[in-house]
Amino acid sequence: MSVDDIIPGSPLARALDGYPVPGLSPDFADRIVGAAEARPASLPDLRRPAPVRGWRLGRRVMVGAACFGALATAAAATGVLERFDIPVPSAEKVWASITGKETPEVVAPVAAQPTQAAATTIAPVTIDGPIDTPEELGEAFRRIDEVRQGRSEVRRQVIDQRIDKAIERRRAAGLPVPDAEQEARLRQRIDEAQARRQQLADERVQLRREEMARKVESGEALTREDVLRPLAEDARALQRRERLERLRRMTPAERRAALRQLPPEQRRALIEEYRALRNQQSDPASPDAEAAAEATAPAVQTAPADE
Amino acid sequence: MNASGEPSTTAPPAVGSGGDAALVARLAARDSAALREVISQHGGVLHRIAYRMTGDAHEAEDIVQEAMLRLWDHAPKIAARHPVGSQAAGALKLGGWLQRVVTNLAIDRLRRARRLSGEEVPDAEDEAPLADALIESGERDRSARALIAALPERQRAAIVLTYYEELSNAAAAEALDMNIKAFESLLLRARTALRKAFADGAEGGSA
Repeated sequence: MSVDDIIPGSPLARALDGYPVPGLSPDFADRIVGAAEARPASLPDLRRPAPVRGWRLGRRVMVGAACFGALATAAAATGVLERFDIPVPSAEKVWASITGKETPEVVAPVAAQPTQAAATTIAPVTIDGPIDTPEELGEAFRRIDEVRQGRSEVRRQVIDQRIDKAIERRRAAGLPVPDAEQEARLRQRIDEAQARRQQLADERVQLRREEMARKVESGEALTREDVLRPLAEDARALQRRERLERLRRMTPAERRAALRQLPPEQRRALIEEYRALRNQQSDPASPDAEAAAEATAPAVQTAPADE
Repeated sequence: MNASGEPSTTAPPAVGSGGDAALVARLAARDSAALREVISQHGGVLHRIAYRMTGDAHEAEDIVQEAMLRLWDHAPKIAARHPVGSQAAGALKLGGWLQRVVTNLAIDRLRRARRLSGEEVPDAEDEAPLADALIESGERDRSARALIAALPERQRAAIVLTYYEELSNAAAAEALDMNIKAFESLLLRARTALRKAFADGAEGGSA
């Protein structure tokens, strides 16, 4: 008995004790039994029985772990973890750490190295003010030649890289690759085609430069647009040649459908050019046949100089 | 002996270990004789608790009846959880289960009545002819009833279970779905409130 208990015999206890309880009704038990027997059978549970506490907790833990795993996977896949300097081992490393076996080093395909060519920025030729003396024109040509030189160097590097990548790709895919001799022949053929193209471009450029020099000597001032104007005719010819090349690769039915979509004027010009090209190719002795072959060669198409 | 001088039926009836489980198994099999047995064993105690909680004999019988019918409905589930002969069967205390149901039902009804009336449930008026003896006992009765009725529902239940039914603190805490520390705190507050109400009443009577 504790201190705060109601002590028997105390005034409070005597007061509380004066609380008699009436007896139960005589038919109390009969009423309850009657009500119980008249009671309809309880319906089956709509819900599944509640699982035991342990499994309920375990399920929550599993759901939490699954959510955490999904979030962690998403973070690893999106590179969020690496942003916070958390190393994410590859699946091979994890498997190797579990099994204790050395996994063969996977040779990654040669990644496209950021090319120096691409990184090299060729400063555009800047010409301020009109050009009205032969010295100024010569200086402009010198700057343009520098840019052209840099651009052809870039093109050469791009071609080399494309060849290397194609060989690597074939090697990775298990396809036959050209040996050193074949590769050298391929490179030589491409170089020759490039040289011919360059020569043609040089000839056209030379003609324009002579024309510009005559204008300057006659006292006419040339603007930047005159000097750097692209060879519009050359550009159009190149476009037509590219279009011809695409048409040549099509099946006859596709070619007819593609030609039908062109405006009549362009279609006629293209057909004429195609016929001329075919005639030239049928006569390999003619000097134009070489140019035509060069145009359809699968070498890197060089854009006309922006002169 | 309980506070009203009646023999205490709080002590577990003479059933062997797992006796309650066997009784519940019979209830689950819809044996009405088993229900009568349960009523004879626990009906008196449950009625006293309900009556002292509510102060109304009819209400008390309703509460006990509802508790018995709930037992009848839940018997299959209880029997499934405490199969006869298992270790769980020995842990089944039917009296405790019924006391908890009755206490909760009584508290629910008191709260519902207070919500509907907006104040304490008024005592039923005694319209019987009053003899001197009846006057004296009735005043005493009303005094005790008023003391109990002045307590909040859970404090009232704590006093009824521990003082009148002489339940241990642990058993009373179980009947009220409380842990033992919380129940002891509740009981202390109930006794303090009871003493204060009694002292106030005594001062008012002597003034």
